[in-house]
Amino acid sequence: MRYDYDVIVIGAGNGGLAAASKLSAAGLKTVVLEKHNLPGGVATSFVRGRFEFEASLHELCDVGTEEEPRLVRNLFAGLGSDAAFVNEKNLFRTVVTGPDGYDVTLESGEDFEKSLVKACPGCEKSIAKLKKVLANTSEALEYNDAKNGNPNKLVMLMRYGKFLISASHSLDDVLRSLGFDRRTRNVLETYWSYLGVPADELNSMHYWEMARGYINGGAGIPTMKSYGLSLSLADTILKNGGEIRYNTEVTGLIFDENGRVAGVKAGSDEFFAKETVSNVIPHSVFAMDGRERLPSKDKKLLNARRLGLSFVCIYAGLDRSAAELGLNDYSVFVAHNSSTRRQYENTGKTIGMYVANCLNVAVPDATPAGTCSLFITVPVFPKSGIFDGVDAANYKKFKSDFSRKYIADFEKTLGIELLPYIEEISVATPATFARYFGVPNGTAYGYELSAWDGVLSRTLNRSNELNVPGLTFCGGHSVNGDGFGVTYTSGVEAAETVVSRLAAAGISGPAAAGISRPAAAPDTLVAKNGGAHEN
Amino acid sequence: MKINGEKLKKIKVSASNFLKILPERVKKIMKAPGSDVKQPASYKPNSLAASLHPEFIFAEVAETRELPGSTIMYTLVPDASRGTSSLAPFAAGQYVSVTAEIDGCVYRRPYSICSSPSEALPARTGLWPVAKSVHPYPNGFYRIAVKLQEGGKVSEFIHKTWQKGTKTVISAPEGLFTYEPLRDASNVVGIAGGVGITPFRSMVKAILEGSEDFSLTLLYGARRESDILFREELDGAAACSEGRIKVVYVLSDEQKEGFEHGFITAETVAKYAPGEYPYSVFAAGPDAMLKSLENELPKLPRPLRRKFVRFDARGVPQDVKTEPDYTAPSREFYTVKVRNGGAAFEITCGAGETLLSAMERSGVNAPSLCKSGECGFCHTKLISGSYYMPASRDFRRRADSVYGYIHPCCTYPRSDMELDVPVAKTPRA
Repeated sequence: MRYDYDVIVIGAGNGGLAAASKLSAAGLKTVVLEKHNLPGGVATSFVRGRFEFEASLHELCDVGTEEEPRLVRNLFAGLGSDAAFVNEKNLFRTVVTGPDGYDVTLESGEDFEKSLVKACPGCEKSIAKLKKVLANTSEALEYNDAKNGNPNKLVMLMRYGKFLISASHSLDDVLRSLGFDRRTRNVLETYWSYLGVPADELNSMHYWEMARGYINGGAGIPTMKSYGLSLSLADTILKNGGEIRYNTEVTGLIFDENGRVAGVKAGSDEFFAKETVSNVIPHSVFAMDGRERLPSKDKKLLNARRLGLSFVCIYAGLDRSAAELGLNDYSVFVAHNSSTRRQYENTGKTIGMYVANCLNVAVPDATPAGTCSLFITVPVFPKSGIFDGVDAANYKKFKSDFSRKYIADFEKTLGIELLPYIEEISVATPATFARYFGVPNGTAYGYELSAWDGVLSRTLNRSNELNVPGLTFCGGHSVNGDGFGVTYTSGVEAAETVVSRLAAAGISGPAAAGISRPAAAPDTLVAKNGGAHEN
Repeated sequence: MKINGEKLKKIKVSASNFLKILPERVKKIMKAPGSDVKQPASYKPNSLAASLHPEFIFAEVAETRELPGSTIMYTLVPDASRGTSSLAPFAAGQYVSVTAEIDGCVYRRPYSICSSPSEALPARTGLWPVAKSVHPYPNGFYRIAVKLQEGGKVSEFIHKTWQKGTKTVISAPEGLFTYEPLRDASNVVGIAGGVGITPFRSMVKAILEGSEDFSLTLLYGARRESDILFREELDGAAACSEGRIKVVYVLSDEQKEGFEHGFITAETVAKYAPGEYPYSVFAAGPDAMLKSLENELPKLPRPLRRKFVRFDARGVPQDVKTEPDYTAPSREFYTVKVRNGGAAFEITCGAGETLLSAMERSGVNAPSLCKSGECGFCHTKLISGSYYMPASRDFRRRADSVYGYIHPCCTYPRSDMELDVPVAKTPRA
């Protein structure tokens, strides 16, 4: 069958849903083609017995409160979503064992500094310096925005030197230069896994733009899991007259005579449109039928890149309440080695760094009364080799053994008992990410934000990369990097690009007047959406 | 520089570094090969996922065997002629969903696999290699036992048409009725009713071959002695299991020496329960048996926590009117408009019939797997209308209920309705 639309969105992940919501709101005839039978991609949940487990989201940053909404709440409200969030006061508890270990809890908002000084006495002077760097960064970004992404270079150099340093050095180097001792650096670097690059490589400015979203705005957690966010966006698309086709896997691209993407193939069906948005990772698009017509310069880019982190996720439903079990923190980061490089490069032979979340601490009714859930996330770096010796036949045993090891480690580290209370357990691995999202190597973070391929670097060169005519990418693999919030903003930005391109060609839907501003200039110096990167 | 006694490596940071960002990027990209991007499917997690969870499996009937009680056991092997070269591994207790095209309509039914996990693997390459003599199909096999159900369209069709050489389509193995050492006790009391013995046959074999590690006391309920399936095998397994497997037969319609008589009650369970407490109870069989167990198990002298009681996917209620939250319909039949990909249907659904059942017999190619409400494979957008979904079969996510999504396999119409149902990915036959 042949179908015609204004815009096709491939993939109903966060980026695809946000894009389709915005596009359909602009009155464009929009269809989302999703290979799975649910919207959301990783923003999903699943049911085992009487438990519904959050599949991926820890927390969104820059959510703000109901009274003072910030980026994420505004984004959802702007798309017409009725999604609700709760706020979590603590940033995290971080436990590192060993001789240089610590067990400290950082708070958000006004109490952040106090909690940091309590955790790391003597860091006051360096904090003052860090605040200057962050203030200078804000001012630089404001100046850049005011200049529409074309700032005067001399002004940047004279006034915003601290910003330029933070924007072009690793997190660890910047913290060192500010005089933070190792313990304080490690504590401050705790969130590294949310961006998937160790602190000696992770871009300092990017990290702080994210961390600031937590420190200032406080973490936000959706009341109906990330799947609730996905359904709320799907709902806006349907209400706007858009369409979502599930169980529909795009297998090929269709080009017109000028080499422009004119549509896609899904099995025996053909969908044609004026513009196509791909929430699917470029690696998968470059493996589709028709790939020979994609630009070879982009193959170089994709071959140069490293694939991002994947995860093993352990979901346990426990038949005791969080309080009874001694699970008093929403997020606990655990490591047995304080070096973030060592944490990143864990080969799976020893216990690696992990995050343990108890959703009930933030959303008490997340599971039935008298029960709670535990969600352990273990980062798996691309070359970890955790699947060495694992095949389809022993995969179940691998999952079981892996989970036992990590749950037992968490029990020991916190001095609590969990194993006897497991009523339901489920485990996701890189193979699970590969199964549901088709992503290469099961990456959950798209492309690694390596030293050379950070958000700033991507932004500076965005007009030269992956600019396939008629095809716009959005999602965690795109310019703004991985993290939950940025995938939504990347979808909105992709939609704005498409709408303005169609408007320039004289095509607009009946409601296109609702689109407020043109897409960001392609040579924007710095990503505008500072906040909202998280895991 | 020294801070808190720690000597800090002097670190040089410079604003001019900013000017290097773009050139470094360009250099890095220029140096990379312009060859085709590595195919996602070639990475280990992706190939592992593909062998664990194929979208569907083309299979061929290699063998049929008549069993007591109008039951036939079929051996299914991969159908290489249609591109399936091996079977997905499974855990004892899982099922496959069989696709049957009857008079142009597509029906799907789950059947527990009753062979052993290692038998699904290619001969000798598995984790638990078995001799070729007991593994007659080198590419692996599944066995399912199909009991002829009264008025059961699919079981009738299978009994009538399946023979050696018949080609069919099945799902990858699915289902949560499996042993999990992190959750379950090391002693399990298995309660089987009738053809519900099939998942336990797989567990018994898994214990013997070493692919599962637990002890199983099987209480197997049948009407008469002559209805017992796999009797010799089960007795043989118990005899050579070094005490890990015990089998007790419970006959409801006959009183005989060496057999328990009646239905399986709390008393029966308590009598044969292992000494070690807590133990797990696994149950598979007709809904009536599971319902009765729901009343019986709390009466155990030492009741079990919820986590220790697990039921197999139980299908739709045998008599939906007896569900405690039953909502009576206002009419006998309702009209349901169905969007199914590019196609549209207008069908009739009886008040006591599930939406999935009505769609199947009306030619809608609707996806389904467990037909028990728990797998979510038939996830469907409700556009309009009201419905009744028994709480006992409602395993939806909270947001599904809020935003109007249903599982048609266990949903009954309570008004005229409109649905948007994704097209099943599994081929029709």
